[in-house]
Amino acid sequence: MDHERFEELKDAYVLGALPEEERREFEEYLAGHPERQAEIEELNAVASLLALSPEEQEPSPELRRSIMGLVEPEAEPRRASSRSWLAGIREYLSVRNLALGAAALLVIGLFSWNMLLQGEVHDLQGRVQNLKASQEESRMVALEGPGVAHGAHVEVMILGDDRAVLMAEDMPPVPKEKTFQIWVIEDGVPQPSGLFETREDPVATVIQRPLSGADAVAVSVEPEGGSTEPTTDPMLTAKL
Amino acid sequence: MAERGRQYLLLADEDLISLVEANDAEAFAVLYDRHSRAAYSLAYRMMGERQSAEDLVQDAFLKVWRAAGSYRSERGSVRTWLLSIVHNRGIDQLRSLASQRRTQQRIEASAPRSQPSEAFAQSWRNVQREQVREALRTLPPEQLSVLELAYFSGYTHVEIAELLDLPLGTVKGRMRLGLKKIKDYFDSQDTAVPR
Repeated sequence: MDHERFEELKDAYVLGALPEEERREFEEYLAGHPERQAEIEELNAVASLLALSPEEQEPSPELRRSIMGLVEPEAEPRRASSRSWLAGIREYLSVRNLALGAAALLVIGLFSWNMLLQGEVHDLQGRVQNLKASQEESRMVALEGPGVAHGAHVEVMILGDDRAVLMAEDMPPVPKEKTFQIWVIEDGVPQPSGLFETREDPVATVIQRPLSGADAVAVSVEPEGGSTEPTTDPMLTAKL
Repeated sequence: MAERGRQYLLLADEDLISLVEANDAEAFAVLYDRHSRAAYSLAYRMMGERQSAEDLVQDAFLKVWRAAGSYRSERGSVRTWLLSIVHNRGIDQLRSLASQRRTQQRIEASAPRSQPSEAFAQSWRNVQREQVREALRTLPPEQLSVLELAYFSGYTHVEIAELLDLPLGTVKGRMRLGLKKIKDYFDSQDTAVPR
């Protein structure tokens, strides 16, 4: 691909209208010419506006229930609230309310509610900051292997609390009935630790086994749905 | 909703995404409530019927839940990211359907919806949508039609050329001019393109 062809294809690219082969060709060119990235992002922002244009439709309440039903079992148990003193104030105020007039009740109620709001927002923002801080403390490990020769860029982010996320970019395509599988190798035995696809690029996938005590992490191509043990050689590995 | 849940409503999308990354279901629920309508509207426009649209939205939101860490704020807003997931997955699904089923009749049936007078009769909820509507109104129908066939129906530029019986160069030209006109609209309003 040259500059002229890039110009010719860039609009179809941001609209998602390039055939697979041309899309790959375009992205390879783009990867080799990072100075064009900003232009594509700007054009992509214009194309993305089309997403706002459809007539508005209301999703059914069942859809929300269905999605939350899948999400909630995977959620972290809610942490104990740090706002017990606020709860105490509220209780105190609720007793006092009996003795105070309606006007005082309103003023104090509003004040306490405001305090509560500020306290909880502060609490949530604190959690966000903590999460960001823990990200900064995280360790990155790059995976190496034959996949890298195909342009793949894969790293594992090991978080302080023993969680790990695999991030993959520019993975080579695999046949439809195949998928990428992550393995955590413990005492020389590969343990299945999650699947990922590359329809979205880049992708990030939580590694489903803790890495503490593990020897290595690897990625192989496996039949759709994954394998209990690797059926192909690992295309990417990293010692831990 | 619990009081704590109400406080999430005060957080920005970017903060909510950080909490979702830590598997916080309440933060996720707020994001869902904030953006599910836009996501479903796009999905419905692409898939053309309720069940497939709901499946697509579910798929996209589960991707948000399980891969919130892949969000990059420098590449655009959370809403843009979410809608791009819906769009990309929608295109994958449309392309995996038997191409025979996507008949010329479907194109012809969808064409009237691309006429500004019908497509934009709907009232819009917010200023940004209103701006987008105005921008798209500036497009000649033949440019809008090509953009919609590509963006919503998942056709490649080659397929669009075949379906509309146009030279490929004409299709590419309409795509280029259509996108340029949208950008020009925002430039003329002295407004940045929303991200």
